[in-house]
Amino acid sequence: MQVFKNIYRLYFMAFIAEYIFFRTSVRRNRRCHKELMPGSKKLYLTSILKYTVCLLLVAFFFCTAQLANAQQKLNNITLQFVNKAGEKLLNADSIYTNPFGETFTVRTFKYYISHIVLQDDATGKRQSYNNDYFLVDDADTSSKKIVLQTDLNSITSIHFLLGVDSLKNVSGVQEGTLDPVKGMFWTWNSGYVMAKIEGNSPVAKTPQHAFSYDIGGYKKNENTERQIDLKLPRELNTENAQINIEVNIMTWFNAVNEMKIANTPFCHEPGVLAKKIADNYAKMFSIQK
Amino acid sequence: MKIITAIIIVFIALAFGTSWVVAVNNTHAIKFVVPKGWPQPVYDFKQNPLTAEGFELGRKLFYDGRLSKDGNFACASCHQQFAAFTTYDHNLSHGFNNSFTRRNAPPLFNLAWQKEFMWDGGINHLDLQPLAPITDANEMAETIQNVLNKLKKDTAYRRMFKAAFGDENITTQRMTKAISQFVVMMVSANSKYDKVMRGEDSFNLPQRLGYEIFKRKCINCHTEPMFTDYSYRNAGLTTDDYLADIGRMKITNKPADSMKFKVPSLRNAAVTAPYGHDGRFVSLLSVMNFYRNDVVNYSTTDSLLKHGIPLSNFEIGQLTAFIYTLTDSSFLKDPRFAPPGFENRMPAPPAEHVH
Repeated sequence: MQVFKNIYRLYFMAFIAEYIFFRTSVRRNRRCHKELMPGSKKLYLTSILKYTVCLLLVAFFFCTAQLANAQQKLNNITLQFVNKAGEKLLNADSIYTNPFGETFTVRTFKYYISHIVLQDDATGKRQSYNNDYFLVDDADTSSKKIVLQTDLNSITSIHFLLGVDSLKNVSGVQEGTLDPVKGMFWTWNSGYVMAKIEGNSPVAKTPQHAFSYDIGGYKKNENTERQIDLKLPRELNTENAQINIEVNIMTWFNAVNEMKIANTPFCHEPGVLAKKIADNYAKMFSIQK
Repeated sequence: MKIITAIIIVFIALAFGTSWVVAVNNTHAIKFVVPKGWPQPVYDFKQNPLTAEGFELGRKLFYDGRLSKDGNFACASCHQQFAAFTTYDHNLSHGFNNSFTRRNAPPLFNLAWQKEFMWDGGINHLDLQPLAPITDANEMAETIQNVLNKLKKDTAYRRMFKAAFGDENITTQRMTKAISQFVVMMVSANSKYDKVMRGEDSFNLPQRLGYEIFKRKCINCHTEPMFTDYSYRNAGLTTDDYLADIGRMKITNKPADSMKFKVPSLRNAAVTAPYGHDGRFVSLLSVMNFYRNDVVNYSTTDSLLKHGIPLSNFEIGQLTAFIYTLTDSSFLKDPRFAPPGFENRMPAPPAEHVH
């Protein structure tokens, strides 16, 4: 739209310039001949017409160039996050049992996905989405579906950051999915909560037997964002493609470090514990075959 | 006649042709002036260009109780201008539902030079700062979403957000940027001390002697011209058994940071009593008595304070005289920072502190 506005403005200015020029020439003619030259009105109209045609041509080329740029073939590729607890689909009403035999329910499960990279190992081409930050919220179906436009014809692997990079943690108040109003930002110790699970478990010795892991920390030695690299089982043609990414919350308890709810019902600040849980959740993603 | 018509047509055309330029830029920029000899500010003004409209919006927000849960607690209820924007005569400030804050409210000025906020430096950007008191159950006890909802319902706010940011969209980012525009303009650089440094005034004898003592015994932490080096130090205060405040360690998790707090600026100190992170010192005299008698030598007590600061009664008097020269009465009475509509009805600073 901006393109058209600019062209219109350009044309308008040119029109005015032409008008002034014509006026001056008519006046000069008058002074010379003491009378209005008979064909001058016609001359004026012709010149305007010529001018219009010229400008329209320029505008036409300009626009086609712009459109050609935009019209390079783009495919939509959908990343569908499928949150699970072991083999079962995650949902707020179900009771699950973790590898230590502790039963629990999950009320909230959210995580940030950013810096997605699609890669085609055959051609070595990559496409990065460095300015897109997604907040996947289990309670919000639409948030579990990420649609990306790509000009790659096929891809073999997908890479992303679980969490929010450190730069966004130190650059003041952000908008969109990074808006602190989303409840994924610590106001007393600035920084994003990269991922959180909140729920209840009878083994938690806490009010209402609540347990909650709000995992964050962006500073050196407190990093909880994790690089995730997933290889696709086979090369994928990107035309209307969908990749189902399975997200298993059971990994939070024992993928790398043992995390019994009875021993550690809460984690609410950056530090050693948060990093241990982050090492666990780094393993929660896999490509659904 | 035709010339006149032509001129009019050209004029109208130009007005039309350039109207888009005007439409984009209809705010009025304000200039942030760095006092002579001061370092460059750390606040990134490019990310938040100061405008008269943004400043006015920030001022309205700063003085609006609706940012709190019950409508009683504006930013200004704990940050009062006549007390250099701290809470006058309170060790801890009042919050929602008869609660008290856990730390002494800091005065607000020269925030453009400050990198980290709060006594423990937990907040890493000025724009983020308002979110902490707004959401803290001991302070304004509100949610960000509720604040935005209240603002969106108010026609005056919709108008002011449009004036400042181009449209009526009210977001966390815009709200906090507007508050930053207001508070970042609070520059206190016109005390008697500043005038002396600029050669416009001169110290009397006790003030001059006090300045000499200051340069020998205080300047390492209270560095000129900000009168703080913004470092975190344990000054050797005993821990309050109720508050059990570990200070900077709460943020860094490092035992070496236990009981460390940000060095406060001495500017306007005469009007910001009580002192200390929990407001335990009721007067300048009690602070100086602490430094000469009561510093506790913990493992993290600052190396400069292991033996306290030896001060005679004379020195305390002279230091006090010097600290009084740091009071910037033009800042305390600056109508730009008054509640909207009260520019000409400023509450007077308490009489004993006017200089």
